Amino acid sequence: MSRKSDEYLRGVPMKSYDLVREGLIALAFVAALAIALAIAFKSPDAPTVRGEDVAKNHPLDYLKTAADLLSGESALESYGPPYTKDKENIQRIFGPGPAAILGVTLPIDAEKDLVIAPLERVAVLNKDVAAALAVWKAASDDKQKAWTKAYSDALDKAEEAKGLVKVPAGDFGPVAVMMTGMLDLGRAGLLEGALTSGETLPYTLDNTKAMLFFQEDVDQSVADGYDMKGTQWGITHEVGNLPGPWWLWPYAIWYQIPPLTTAPNADVIVGSLMILLFLLLFFAPFVPVLKHLPKWIPIYRIIWRDWYKAHDR
Amino acid sequence: MNLTEKTQGYVKDKLTLDDILPTKLPVYLNSMAYMFGVLTLCSLAMIIASGMVMAFFGPNWYHVRSSGKFFNSLHFWSVQLFFAFMMLHLATKYFIGAFRDGRWKTWMIGALTLGAAIFSGFTGYLSASNWSAQWHAVEAKDAMNAMGIGGFFFTTNYSQMLTLHVAVLPAFVIVLATIHILLIRHEGPVKPYPAKGEAKK
Repeated sequence: MSRKSDEYLRGVPMKSYDLVREGLIALAFVAALAIALAIAFKSPDAPTVRGEDVAKNHPLDYLKTAADLLSGESALESYGPPYTKDKENIQRIFGPGPAAILGVTLPIDAEKDLVIAPLERVAVLNKDVAAALAVWKAASDDKQKAWTKAYSDALDKAEEAKGLVKVPAGDFGPVAVMMTGMLDLGRAGLLEGALTSGETLPYTLDNTKAMLFFQEDVDQSVADGYDMKGTQWGITHEVGNLPGPWWLWPYAIWYQIPPLTTAPNADVIVGSLMILLFLLLFFAPFVPVLKHLPKWIPIYRIIWRDWYKAHDR
Repeated sequence: MNLTEKTQGYVKDKLTLDDILPTKLPVYLNSMAYMFGVLTLCSLAMIIASGMVMAFFGPNWYHVRSSGKFFNSLHFWSVQLFFAFMMLHLATKYFIGAFRDGRWKTWMIGALTLGAAIFSGFTGYLSASNWSAQWHAVEAKDAMNAMGIGGFFFTTNYSQMLTLHVAVLPAFVIVLATIHILLIRHEGPVKPYPAKGEAKK
């Protein structure tokens, strides 16, 4: 043995040991257990939220989402880094907000990138949408806002039946035609493709825009159905009865404790707490109480019970 | 100075073949609690093996073919076992004070391995290309963004999460676990706390 372990173990009785045999037995045990669990319980595979499904089955939700993004007042519009320059929503703890350090690294303009850009593709195929877009672009900001507000208000009173939406009449300018264009894009199954392709590559490597499109009400309501929202232990939950990443319980638990359940800066507080907890774990051999705790709690006497049976006086 | 000679001397002094492949161990190693480390390692081997099969066939395979679904499930349950054994390993090592007698390096490398494994598992959940992956990417981005790492770690970028999951983070886990194991083998298992009536060290 090495000089160090020789010195350390001097005088300690030794027993013969076969590491390779033990390793092989352990591997066979784990492999059998994992295979049995995989066959018996399988793995989670609930379908994703797709634009096509939402447009066909919940067209009103789809239109509300698109109208919200077009309004220029969606949550994404004032999200802050890494998407937008706004600083008012940066989560802060004792002053600074870590999000501001790197700033805007993935600029996204909700109105232009998530609605106007895909509509410009629709416009190539649909003259009505092309004409509506031209009217929209020529209008003032105030006029655009008035149209989208009127349309959004009308959607609140709209009726949905058999996949069709009946919107009450109003002064929507070109917005109604634009939104119908967005709905058709979704029904055709082309929403995600229109959102993600075309900047540097025709095929996509980054789904951010497609994922952000439904992140508000649509995703939230699906997550609620699966008990997967942040205040429902979020990431530690999996669909159905399958276990999620339960090892993140020490992280998820903070989101269940007031005032963190509703605090606007809960993420940065919980993130900081986790860094602190990890540092305590990392430096445990040197942290005053932590390093002595094992000696005070006699669990070690169970693990080494044979040793103590022979050595206790 | 001959660096190769120095390295050779260092390895010879610090890590003999007897340490790496021991044929005798102290008698106090007589508990199932000592199995959790090797069981964690075996689970990691199962994760790597099933993950390599999945990498060969690509992400769509998990959803459309029964063989793909099986390997996805095998990977999923190997991860569950890995964390279960790792937590038991962590708890038992803590409660025997395994960091004593200069073993703080082994403990700290172990803690780093846990951190790397958590991020590795997290990117795996985001790479599953199902509802859970979609939702967790959207939900977790707020936490990442709030902490400032969302400026380069984009949970909604599938290719970034997948490449981190199959290449970079497993490399961290494997390298850290290797150092952890070599340190354990080099230093030997920590001695029990003094028995009743025995002089305290």
